[in-house]
Amino acid sequence: MSERLADILISSFPRILGQGVMVTIPLTVISFALALVIAVLCAMIQIADIRGLKQLVRFYIWIVRGTPLLVQLYLVYFGLPDIGLMLPAFPCAVAVFALNEGAYCAETVRAAIEAVPKGQMEAGYCVGMSYTQIMRRIVLPQAFRTAFPPLSNSLISMVKDTSLAANITVMEMFMATQRVVGRTYEALALYMEVAVIYLFFCTVITKLQALGEKKLNAMNGGNVIRA
Amino acid sequence: MLEVTGLKKSFDGRQILDRVDLTVDKGDVLAVLGPSGGGKTTLLRCLNYLERADEGHMTFRGQSMDMPGLSRKEIAAYRRHTAFVFQSYNLFSNKTALQNVTEGLLIPRKMSKAEARDRAMAALEKVGLADRGDAYPSQLSGGQQQRVAIARAVAVQPDVIFLDEPTSALDPELIGGVLDVIRALAEDGMTMVIVTHEVTFARHVSTRVLFMDQGKALAAAPTAAFFEEQTSERIQSFLRSLDRKDG
Repeated sequence: MSERLADILISSFPRILGQGVMVTIPLTVISFALALVIAVLCAMIQIADIRGLKQLVRFYIWIVRGTPLLVQLYLVYFGLPDIGLMLPAFPCAVAVFALNEGAYCAETVRAAIEAVPKGQMEAGYCVGMSYTQIMRRIVLPQAFRTAFPPLSNSLISMVKDTSLAANITVMEMFMATQRVVGRTYEALALYMEVAVIYLFFCTVITKLQALGEKKLNAMNGGNVIRA
Repeated sequence: MLEVTGLKKSFDGRQILDRVDLTVDKGDVLAVLGPSGGGKTTLLRCLNYLERADEGHMTFRGQSMDMPGLSRKEIAAYRRHTAFVFQSYNLFSNKTALQNVTEGLLIPRKMSKAEARDRAMAALEKVGLADRGDAYPSQLSGGQQQRVAIARAVAVQPDVIFLDEPTSALDPELIGGVLDVIRALAEDGMTMVIVTHEVTFARHVSTRVLFMDQGKALAAAPTAAFFEEQTSERIQSFLRSLDRKDG
């Protein structure tokens, strides 16, 4: 490796990582937290079969899952100003990522709730609990254990998907890298550098997932995963 | 104390229960016997409104109720006086044995933590599992799980416990322990309706027998009379077929 290239990589590293810590991570964390709220709400509405709302949720999931994330970003950031709705880039990205991931996670959460045996609900009724009490204390905790790995999957996807926000002028990690490439023309090395940082972020999440699963298993007496 | 008349239930046009009547007095142990598919489990599930009867009238603690028309609130109120033991235990898998028992005391009955704990421990003691309170269902054998389920039922001090084939999912060597617990409850005077295939047990523990076949209550009689003065050819052949299996 030439000395020049090494210099570029080293001097760009804190800059790229900095945008990762300052933008990519907050963007991911805020969007995913909102996505989870949306997901649980949408799943509950479908499970509880609330008329009207259920159709609305199905419609939302249909639209979001049937259109590309990049198109959604463009629509909201470049399209909505045409009807007078102008959002700054970062909140706009948060909104799109949250709504997008929320639709996918809603299906994950719904499946996890449906996977809890019907007998748990019946037993809850028979000791005198109400639907809401059973959901909160019995069904959702069990469903959360089931949903945890696929939700971790979604989170990992989202870390990488935030790079799409570069298209709507959010100065996150990938865009920061593009800038350096534009200046230095060292595309291969710099894109590899940013790829390694993404890989590092995702590795941390993977480790956290393993820890979380262990903890959740202990809370269930280790009954869900068994070799 | 519990009286049901004209109970009817069908699934997809198939009549599962056809005008079933039954009476349970305080302290009764009513054994519901009969061949598989005869409607025993559906009957029990209708009694606790896990299935909604199509027709039928219930009188419970002097209160008269139209079974198909009961509101959610009325069902909840009714269930606070009953308990149910499932064939597959259905313990809350995210709760310990002790929490499984306290749940019904703490949440719907709003009992204090200390009181609920004491009562739950007493119930676990009764089923011989006081030392396994911290175990999760997955760490217990089937027989132990079913005994916890019985403790969960007893702890709410119900007027009647419904037991749906409580030993059918158990390994043969675990059945005895569960039956012993039920026998002890019967001796304490607990009112129970129990669907079972354990005819010998029914003969010794129950006070009355209801025989179900093809959705109909073919016979309802005190236990001694049912077994000793049985005239129905259908029932006799059923009992003989079980004897052969036992022997």
